This record gives sequence, C-alpha cells and structure tokens, in this order.
Amino acid sequence: MLRFALKRAVAAVLVLFAISVLVFLIFFATPGADPAARIAGRNASQETLAQVRASFGFDKPIPVQYALMMRHLFIDRDLTSFVNRGVEVIPQIKQAIPITLSLVIGAAIIWLFFGILMGVAATAGRGSAVDPLIMIIGVIGVSLPVYWLGEVVNLVSQSRLHDSIFSWVPPLGYAPLSSGVWNWASHLILPWMTLAVLYAGIYARVLRSEMVGAMNEEYVRMARAKGISERRVLWRHAFRTSLIAIVSLFGLDFGALIGGAALLSEVVFGLQGVGKLTYDSLQSFDLPVIIGCVMYAAFFVVFANFLVDLVYALLDPRVRHV
Amino acid sequence: MKLRMMTVAASAGALTLALAACGGGSTPAPTTSGSAAAPSSSGAANAAYDPAKAGGDITLLAKTAGGTLDPKINYTLQYWQLYQATYDGLTAFKKVDGEESFTVVPDLAESLPTPTNDGKTYVFNLRKGIKFSDGTDVTVDDVVASFQRIFKVSSPTAGSFYNGIVGADKCLATPATCTLDGGVVADAANNTVTINLTSPDPEFFYKISVPHAAINPKTAPTKDAGTTPIPTTGPYMFKSYDPNTALVMVRNPNFKSWNEDAQPSGYPDTITEKFGLTVEAEVTAVENNQADWIFDSPPADRLAEIGTKYAPQVHVNPLTAVWYVPMNVNIAPFNNVKARQAVNWAVDKNAVVKILGGEKLAAPVCTILPPGFPGFKEDCQYTNPAGTTWQGPDLAKAKALVTESGTAGQAVTIITTDDEVNKAVGEYLQSTLNSIGYKATLKPISGNIQFTYIQNTNNKVQISLSQWYQDYPAASDFINVLLGCASFTPGSDSSINIAGFCDKTGVQPMIDDALKTEQTDMNAANEKWAATDKAAMTQAPWVPLITPKLIDFLSTNVSNYKFSKQFYMLVDQLQVKK
Repeated sequence: MLRFALKRAVAAVLVLFAISVLVFLIFFATPGADPAARIAGRNASQETLAQVRASFGFDKPIPVQYALMMRHLFIDRDLTSFVNRGVEVIPQIKQAIPITLSLVIGAAIIWLFFGILMGVAATAGRGSAVDPLIMIIGVIGVSLPVYWLGEVVNLVSQSRLHDSIFSWVPPLGYAPLSSGVWNWASHLILPWMTLAVLYAGIYARVLRSEMVGAMNEEYVRMARAKGISERRVLWRHAFRTSLIAIVSLFGLDFGALIGGAALLSEVVFGLQGVGKLTYDSLQSFDLPVIIGCVMYAAFFVVFANFLVDLVYALLDPRVRHV
Repeated sequence: MKLRMMTVAASAGALTLALAACGGGSTPAPTTSGSAAAPSSSGAANAAYDPAKAGGDITLLAKTAGGTLDPKINYTLQYWQLYQATYDGLTAFKKVDGEESFTVVPDLAESLPTPTNDGKTYVFNLRKGIKFSDGTDVTVDDVVASFQRIFKVSSPTAGSFYNGIVGADKCLATPATCTLDGGVVADAANNTVTINLTSPDPEFFYKISVPHAAINPKTAPTKDAGTTPIPTTGPYMFKSYDPNTALVMVRNPNFKSWNEDAQPSGYPDTITEKFGLTVEAEVTAVENNQADWIFDSPPADRLAEIGTKYAPQVHVNPLTAVWYVPMNVNIAPFNNVKARQAVNWAVDKNAVVKILGGEKLAAPVCTILPPGFPGFKEDCQYTNPAGTTWQGPDLAKAKALVTESGTAGQAVTIITTDDEVNKAVGEYLQSTLNSIGYKATLKPISGNIQFTYIQNTNNKVQISLSQWYQDYPAASDFINVLLGCASFTPGSDSSINIAGFCDKTGVQPMIDDALKTEQTDMNAANEKWAATDKAAMTQAPWVPLITPKLIDFLSTNVSNYKFSKQFYMLVDQLQVKK
C-alpha cells in the first residue's frame, strides 16, 4: 500500500513538472510574448528596453529563465508579477484562497443537498410524473452556462428588481467572514446558488442512475424479500451503495473548483478568488501569476486524483496491483 | 501615450440618438465635422475652493488595476489621472476644466523661468514650506534625486523625454551610477535647481509636467516601488494598494494649498478605486449609486440605457487622440505608395464611426494631428467629393490605384486586437481591402501583445489597427514620435513608428526643421507641423480613421465634474452631495 502511495506521489510530482514546463513553453512560443517591451512601457528607448530585459533576465536562455522562475516560486517564494510590479504571486494566491473556499464550500453544501434530494426523489418516484419532471429540471440546470446564469442573476438582483425584492443584495464583490457572518453570506448567497445549479443537476442525474441500477441488484431484492420497508431499502441499501459514485465525483469536482475551476462564477460576481486571479493573469499575459495559478490548480486536481486513487485502492484490492 | 483600449461598441443606431441628448454637465455636445473640436467651458481659473462642500467618500471602479504605483514608471492614463491629486512636478498642467488645461503653470517651482544660455538653461526657484506626506520638507536635493531616479528605475520615457538633459546619455548607459552631473544642479543656499539641456527644447515644460518628472523624496527606492506608495506632495496620498482589490487615497495631512491652478485642494475625504468587476457590473453599480464613476468605457449594450434613463449623469468629451491604420511601407504591397493611397481612398470613415458608437462618440479624421491640437490644420487629401474635411470614399479611384500599382491580388493580413470593437473595425477593413482587389485576412490577437507585436519588423505585419493618445499638447508628440526616423528600430518590440516610415529626403527634414523652429517661434513651428502633416499624408503611411470621444458616467451622489483635456476628469474636484 505504501509503495502504491509513493508511486502515485512521484507520478503527481512529474505531472506538476510537466504542466509547469508546458505553460512556460506555450507562453514563450506565443508570437509577440516577450514581456520586456510591455514592462518597459510605450515608446521606451532601446537603452531602457535593454535594461529592463537584463534586469528581468529575459536575455538569458529559456531553460535558465525557467529554472529562475521555479526558484523564485518554490525556494525563495518571492516571485513577482510582471504586470502589477511589486506584487508577489504567493501572497496573492493565499489571499484569494479563502474567497474561493467560501464560494465552493457554500455551493457544495447546496448542490449536495439538492442533488441528493432530487436524485432520491426521482428514484422513489419512478413510474410517476415526478421522475421525468425532476430529471428535466436537472437537465435544465446542467444546460445553463454559469456565466450566462450569473449575468441574468445580476441583471435581476442588481438592476431590474434591485429596488424591490432584491434590495437586501449588497454590491458585487466579497466581504470577509470577519466583517460579520450575515455580511459574508449575503455577498455569497446568489453566487452559491448559481454555481450549485449546474452541479445539483449533474449529481441528481448521476445519483438517480446509480440508484436505479442498485434497486435492480440482488441484495435489494433480498432485502425486499425479507420484508424491509421500501423506504429503508431506498435509503439504507440503494442510496448508501450509490453514494460511492457521488463521493468520488465530488472529490474530483471539489478539487478542481478549489483549484480555480469556479473561474466563471468568480468573474461574473466580482469575487477575487483563485479563478479570477487566473483569469486576470491570462488577460494581462502575466506569466508569473499564470504559472503560480496553474501550479496551484494543478496541485489540487492532481492531489484530488491522488486521494481518489488511494481511496479506490483501499476499497478495491485489485487496483493496488495494477 | 497609448491608452488602455477603448471598449466602446458596435451597436450604433440607438446610441447615436440616445447620447444626442446628453452633452450634459460642463461640456457642450462635441462638433461632428472634422473641424476643430468645440472647446469645453470657459476654462478660467478654478473657482475659489469651497470648504463647505468638502468631505465624503468617493468610490471609483476599474476592471483591473493599472500596474505599478510608482509615478516614475507607471504609464497608464488610469493612474496618471490619480497622480494629478497626489504628485507634483516643478511645473504642472493647469488643473481646470477645458482648453486652459493644456497650459503649463509653476507648481513646486515659484515661477516659470525664462530659459537662458540660448534656451539651454532653466533655473527653478523651489517653493519653500512644502512638505511630503511623510512630514519631511521638499528640498532641492529631492529634486535632483527625482531626476536621477527617472534613469535609475528605467522610466519608460527616460530615453525619449529626458534624454536632452546634460549627463542623460551616461545615465541611460549605466543607470545605477546616474548623477546627471552638470545636468541637474542644486543650490541649497538659494533654494534653486538649475537644469541644463544639451540643446534647446521648447517642449521641456510639458515634459517635466507629466508624472514621470514628479518630485519624490530622495529616500524613494532606486528600483520600481511597485505597490508600496511613495510619499506625495498633493492634497492626497496613497494609503494602500492591492491590485486585486483596491487603491485607497486619503488626505495628505501636510498639504497646504500654494497655487490653486497647479494643485487645487480636493473635496472628498477618501477616494477609493476598486478593481475586479466586469464593465457590465460597473455600470450597474453606478446606476445603483454603489459607486460614483467608472474608468472603463461603458459597453455598447448599455449605452442606450445610460444615454436615456441616466442622461444627466453622462459627460462626453472629445479627446486629442487618433485611431489609425499603419501600413508597413517596407514590405509588399504597401511599400508601393499607390497601394497606400488606394487604401486611404477606399476606407469609409463613417463606417468606422458607426462601429465606435456613432458621431457622438467619434469623428472622422484625415490628418495625423487630431482636431484641436497644436499644428492641426483642416486638410483632407483623400475624400470624395474633394474638400478640407472628410466627405466620403472613392472606391473607383482606389481600385484604379491598386491596378496601377501592380499589387492587385496580393495577400494582406490585418492585425487587430481581439476585443469586440477593434475586431469589428478589422472586419470592416478586411471587406474594404477585398473590395479593391486584395486577398485580405484578419488576425485578431490579444490586446496585451498586439501593440508590441505590430511594432516589431520581425513579425512582418503588413497592416494593423492602432491608437495613439497624446502625452502632452505638442505636434511632435504625434508626427515626430509616430513617423520620425528615430522612432523606427527594425527588429525591436519598441519601435513606435509602426509603419516603418522614414522619409530621409522629404518628411524627416521637415520634422527637423519644425523642431528647430519650435525653439524660437511656436506659431511658425505649428505652421510647419501642419505642412509636415500634409506631406506625410501624401506619402500615406497611415489611414487616419477617427478621433474618439470619452464617456464619463457618474453616480447621482457626486457633482462638480471638471474635465482636463490633458489628464481627463479631475477626480479630486468631485464633490459628494450631502
């Protein structure tokens, strides 16, 4: 087991290395990507341009530049932005993490609650109108692009009905938990719900199909034959076994979202989380921040995969020997 | 200066009507012809400061932060606007509404010195009793250190604005040991600073009135200060700066007004610029009075709404700027003057005006210099019917010229930025080039790299779309900077003469002559700039498209809007309604 874990850990490090090299190379392969002239400023003289190039090390070979950047990121931990100079990348990411966590954890609670409720209700309501109705609602949720839904939510809550039923909605942005629980939550309620709509739909559908499969399993038939109530069969037997699929799905989704996949929600709602940071750095072609954000995101995705692999290995001995 | 891209937009009709109603505030509706822009209001000296109207907090919104806060390095309009209320140079542009805002007045200097030594020596008497926001006195040593710092931190304009100071060549070569020995000399006993130039420079006062020449404490770091605020002299100082959240300005406790024209006292207690909302959300926030002003241009789909429902809160002002199409005169097909002239004949500038949001937001231009600018003279060489202002295109003539040039059928790639408006103009250019016989393709690239990409000759850009916003009101800032031989460096990302135009026998001698004439007679020089402009346009290195207008959208919480043509809205003059 330990050997398996070690193997996976080494693989994870290799993946992170490969991703960082890839991002670096893509950046420098982009035509016109040389940041020196953008840093030097408009109409900078050739002398100024040369000085900026030298002081940022852009005149060095690319492998050396890569090594320097990794040193600043991981060893000195003082990598600074090319665009907002003087801003260190690591504190920026640290500052963004609580915002992303607030958004994702809140949304996760909502989508798990509704996803499970809808999935179980649909399974229980098979054969009646309830099942297709819930599944259609789920499909609608899955189909709504989050940036579009977010803009519509903003249009309604900030503009059209801002003077009436949505007068409690604060301006877009984030308020830290230290400024009061209600202040924090009121800034996040609509982003939570918007982000949760998509995932609740997915989880409801996945859970329903798993549960419907489980309901046809022999142990369920056995349980029924023993005279256990339908409700107990549903929750104790079908639901519990189906939950395994949901848990592994959740692990991956949650890892990716913490890593910055909530980018669109963060941009639409003006939340300065990791996704927004990634988006801004891509917009401004700010390589140090891009590298920082990508490494951070990759870490969470790889880490989540690693955890899921471990859990599988624990659950299923066959995986360990692959 | 190159401004951050205007994101005005593509739905013209409704907006033209909508904004017709809203020349509101201090500025009359701008003229729609190519003639000199209508001046703003009188532009007299500032009305006396009214302490009763001081107080309150102002919130400004910008999509993203503007980079380093160091006034010696930052070269964005976004922060230059805020530096007006924070930093001072020896001289300053008058901080008033309208035309007068192009006038230079003494700021930290007691008066504007008359240059001696054939125009090469300026002796500035430093005002006494002025303190930095950290409480230290402003001394002549700070002035010397500030000029050295321009070079030590590799300021973008070190080699273009301040290279004429004695000793600047050494400072440009080895910034770390910069002394400007003999160039900037302090005399503590008399409280004067003497600046010696290598040759007379009539634009010198302009150059030392922009934020790169602001006076900072001699203790300021000799590298980019980044997000750490440098102490200020103006009515405000920077309290905190986080490019992910906000920039906060508070009153400078050591500020006492010394010249209301150069540095007026400000009204609000705090000025906060918040970052991170989309432009759509910014507009909504101002409509809801959650914020007071937005830095970014409102998006097209909101213009009709703010032009009607919120018309009294909108201010529109013409800018001294130009949107233009540089054509690379060194590679085919535009190394042929007839091909370049053909494009000038073919482009329908009204179509571009429509893309930008209609005639209330842009006006067609024919010259290098924008209307209302020193040296501007109404002239239009490529218009049908003929006239001094632009009337319409002549496709027949354009096609004939393309045939004559022998370039018909050649492939042409247009490089624009990838935002909605620039892409739409690019698409229009593509269809025009196709209609006169070229095989045009459009390549929109990220707005962050397009500007340097099109400058580098290694990228072999044939034709592109670019913008230029003035640094200071002098014709050379357009003609010499954008079309002079000195601005063309093959193979460099910093080669602002995008067309690669260097006419050593015709236009360049005229530029040199105009620059020389400026030293003795500005009016005669401006006549010469007008002639140079015309001569350059005969060679047609560009298609000048339009001159843009700026929309300022304010909340109902603020009043006393004032617009400087140099640095745009005077943020600290806004008054919070009580």
